[in-house]
Amino acid sequence: MRSFIIRRLISAVLVLFAISVMVFLIFFATPGVDPAARIAGRSATPQILEQVRAAFGLNRPIPIRYLLMMEHLFIKHDLTSYVNVGDRVLPQILQAAPVTLSLVIGAAVIWLIVGVLGGVVAAANRGKFIDPLIMFVGIAAVSVPAYWLGEVVNYFTQSKFHSSIFSWVPSSGYVSPTTNPWQWALHLLFPWLTLAALYAGIYARVLRAELVNAMNEDYVRTARAKGLSERRILLRHALRCSLISIVSLFGLDFGALIGGAALLTEVVMGLPGIGMLTYNALQNLDLPVLMGCVMYGAFFIVLANAVVDVLYAWLDPRVRLA
Amino acid sequence: MSDDVLLRATDIVKSFTSRGKKLGARSVATAVNGVSLEVRRGETLGIVGESGCGKSTLARCLVQLLPVTSGTVEFNGATLTGLSRRQMRPHRREMQLVFQDPYASLNPRRTVGDIVADPMRINKVGTEAEIGERVRELFATVGLDPASLRRYPHEFSGGQRQRIGIARSLSLNPSLVVADEPVSALDVSVQAQVLNLMADLQETFKLTYLFIAHDLGVVRHVSDRVGVMYLGEIVELGEAEVLYEKPLHPYTEALLSVVPELNDTDAPRRERILISGDVPDPSDRPTGCAFHPRCPVATAVCRTDKPAFVELRTGRFVACHHPRNLDA
Amino acid sequence: MLSVRDLRVSFATRQGALRAVDGLSFDVGSKEVLGIVGESGSGKSVAMYSMLGLVRDSNVTISGSVKFEGREILGLSDREMQSVRGGDIGMIFQDPMTALTPVYTVGWQIVEQIRAHTDMTKQQARERAIGLLGEVGIPDPKSRVDHYPHEFSGGMRQRVVIAMALSCNPKLLIADEPTTALDVTTQAQILDLMLKMQESYGSSIVIITHDMGVIAEMAHRVVVMYAGRPAEIGPEVDVVRYPRHPYTWGLLGAVPRVDSKNRRLVTIPGTSVSPLDVPEGCAFGPRCEHRMEICDERPVLHGPGDHLDACWLSDAQRLAIRSARSVAGGAS
Repeated sequence: MRSFIIRRLISAVLVLFAISVMVFLIFFATPGVDPAARIAGRSATPQILEQVRAAFGLNRPIPIRYLLMMEHLFIKHDLTSYVNVGDRVLPQILQAAPVTLSLVIGAAVIWLIVGVLGGVVAAANRGKFIDPLIMFVGIAAVSVPAYWLGEVVNYFTQSKFHSSIFSWVPSSGYVSPTTNPWQWALHLLFPWLTLAALYAGIYARVLRAELVNAMNEDYVRTARAKGLSERRILLRHALRCSLISIVSLFGLDFGALIGGAALLTEVVMGLPGIGMLTYNALQNLDLPVLMGCVMYGAFFIVLANAVVDVLYAWLDPRVRLA
Repeated sequence: MSDDVLLRATDIVKSFTSRGKKLGARSVATAVNGVSLEVRRGETLGIVGESGCGKSTLARCLVQLLPVTSGTVEFNGATLTGLSRRQMRPHRREMQLVFQDPYASLNPRRTVGDIVADPMRINKVGTEAEIGERVRELFATVGLDPASLRRYPHEFSGGQRQRIGIARSLSLNPSLVVADEPVSALDVSVQAQVLNLMADLQETFKLTYLFIAHDLGVVRHVSDRVGVMYLGEIVELGEAEVLYEKPLHPYTEALLSVVPELNDTDAPRRERILISGDVPDPSDRPTGCAFHPRCPVATAVCRTDKPAFVELRTGRFVACHHPRNLDA
Repeated sequence: MLSVRDLRVSFATRQGALRAVDGLSFDVGSKEVLGIVGESGSGKSVAMYSMLGLVRDSNVTISGSVKFEGREILGLSDREMQSVRGGDIGMIFQDPMTALTPVYTVGWQIVEQIRAHTDMTKQQARERAIGLLGEVGIPDPKSRVDHYPHEFSGGMRQRVVIAMALSCNPKLLIADEPTTALDVTTQAQILDLMLKMQESYGSSIVIITHDMGVIAEMAHRVVVMYAGRPAEIGPEVDVVRYPRHPYTWGLLGAVPRVDSKNRRLVTIPGTSVSPLDVPEGCAFGPRCEHRMEICDERPVLHGPGDHLDACWLSDAQRLAIRSARSVAGGAS
């Protein structure tokens, strides 16, 4: 198991390196783009451009340029925004990250609980009324776009019923949990629900399908022949094996969301997270910030995948050997 | 190479490299470990062995579906090993395969007529009309209704699908048919139909068969000569009748003794020799004779020295330090 | 011990009723080994699974009577059935590679069954599991008990499944093709083990297989099934040496032998009848060489003594056919 984890971490580091090289090449080594202008900002004078060229080694070979860029980004932390010159990239990301993390982790807890519960209840009641009902609610949640759902939620909680039943809902924004944990949760409650709805729907449907398949497996027949109760067979045998695919799905979704895929929810709900930062940078073609966001996103996706693989090995003893 | 030898394999080795259990370790599994054999024109050579003994890998190496690690394969007097794809083409037509699983080896999205016609189209033998005629002929030959050639594989039973597979293998008039477990997925009554069909076809078309199976009864039934494989090696090879009556290798002897028999005569049952344990991992072969850890008659020499594969009696080859049933 | 009367299992499908088992009756005596032989689709496995409530399909209809030690078990509630399954009746399955839950150790899985049927503590159950693994011939059971199924070979896994089936001292073992997925040397080990275990546990065995050879090695009595119906029932020696039903003739003649010379195999023309479309009369009629007019009527099991068959041929006719065949074919 230990050798498995070490191997997995080494490969994660290699993947991260490869991604950073590719991102760098796409952003700053594309023919026809003057990277100095991109880095120096809109109103840069020729002198500043010259300084940037020297600082980032833009006249030197590409490998050196790559190393210098990484130095500015990760070691000197002095890569600055193209639009708001003076705003350094790394602190911006570090400021936005907790917002995104709060949003995604909270939503993940909700969608895992709701999704697993929904999937199990639907599979256990196959053929009865409740199964198609859960599946219908699931597909509805999957089909509703997050930005639309967010707007509707906002409309009800922030304007239409804001003065009556939803008067306890604070106006949109983010409060750090270190300042006020209660306000943190209250501010994030509806964003959590909005984001979780889609994934809860997907997970419930996937898990139900997995469970229904698992219940036809030979080992379930063996479990029945052993005289176990249907409940125990479903929860201890079928669910345990089905969780393996849920975990791999979760790793991908969670990594992508932390990495910025929660953009729509963040924008609609007015949360200053990574998604929002990326969104703004995109609108302004703010390459340094964009590159920072992409690197940050890649880091979490790769990390989440590594964690999932380790979890996988823990859940499924067959993987440990491979 | 004498005229009556169609295929000759000399010291074939096939190994697969995979990542080991430890960090950075590589393990090499030798699936076929130095096999030499000859297939004579018009005969059926049966290869029998348990799962994992390398018999299917050997078959694939012989017809060049898998590149050999070392050794040579000669076919019809030409050396096949080392030929390029293009150079292999004319030989490919001469050797065809019939696979084990009649459900998986036919493309489910093509009509069975197309499946049988495809090898001819690819090799551009004749016009589409001629090919169509030939397909109908082949269908009749293998006992299928030529009217059904517009149907799809799933509409046929397992036995019928295996007939389609056989028709496909015959479409280019091969001289060698390599059948890899062609009947093991079939029920006994259907298995008998397919085996009888294969026997008829051999006679009609003067085919040579390399017949690979795990079922000792089936192999005896179809084969003129039989090779017994264990852990990537042929441990014994000889005329089917003699080999089954008086096996030389202790593995062959044990294998034959444990086949469940119908005791429908008063003849006493062969004494059962139960060999314990499992076949070793091909990436961690025992020293000396590969069979020694499970062999009931192994001695010290078997642990250290690998027995040579020698012709002990005319036409009877064995790799064993202590061959059995010699006096008889 | 086990008495099955007129068991019928049918599935409602869009194409009509699929009669998987159609009037099966047999008894299993104490310490007896009964073999049920038939080709795929003959209903041999479905019959056993339906008896034990293991056919979980809302479209299934099961009728007849299954008495286990005098007690009717067909139609028991789920909960009652759970105490029978794995307790008094143990099961062994065809494919040991998939029969165990991959994510738990074999010890865990055996302990789970023991604890479902007895009030042993975890520690006691674990001790028993280790003992059982040793009994079924798994070397070093003390450490192997904590291994996962994929760490065992096929033969070893089947031993684990057997240990599990025996864990609650069952009175009856049902083995569904227990050696079909195994190599012949492993098959010999497993059949040997089953007979040994039967001796020391004194349980009866029902062994389901397509292999007449396995029947000959194991069974005291045989049921030959075709298209969901029993074609022939009798003591093993009688059925193998003096088969009475034309289907049994075909089945025995189709097996290539290791112990006799090459000969042309007896084949049964055509393919197995679809269980959606079993003829009203004799199910084997459409493939039978000796079909007569009366075969449009369904034959009942009858015969001398305890060797029964469902065929309209008279004894004289059978004798004539069999002697003609042995002259022509040179077969046994």
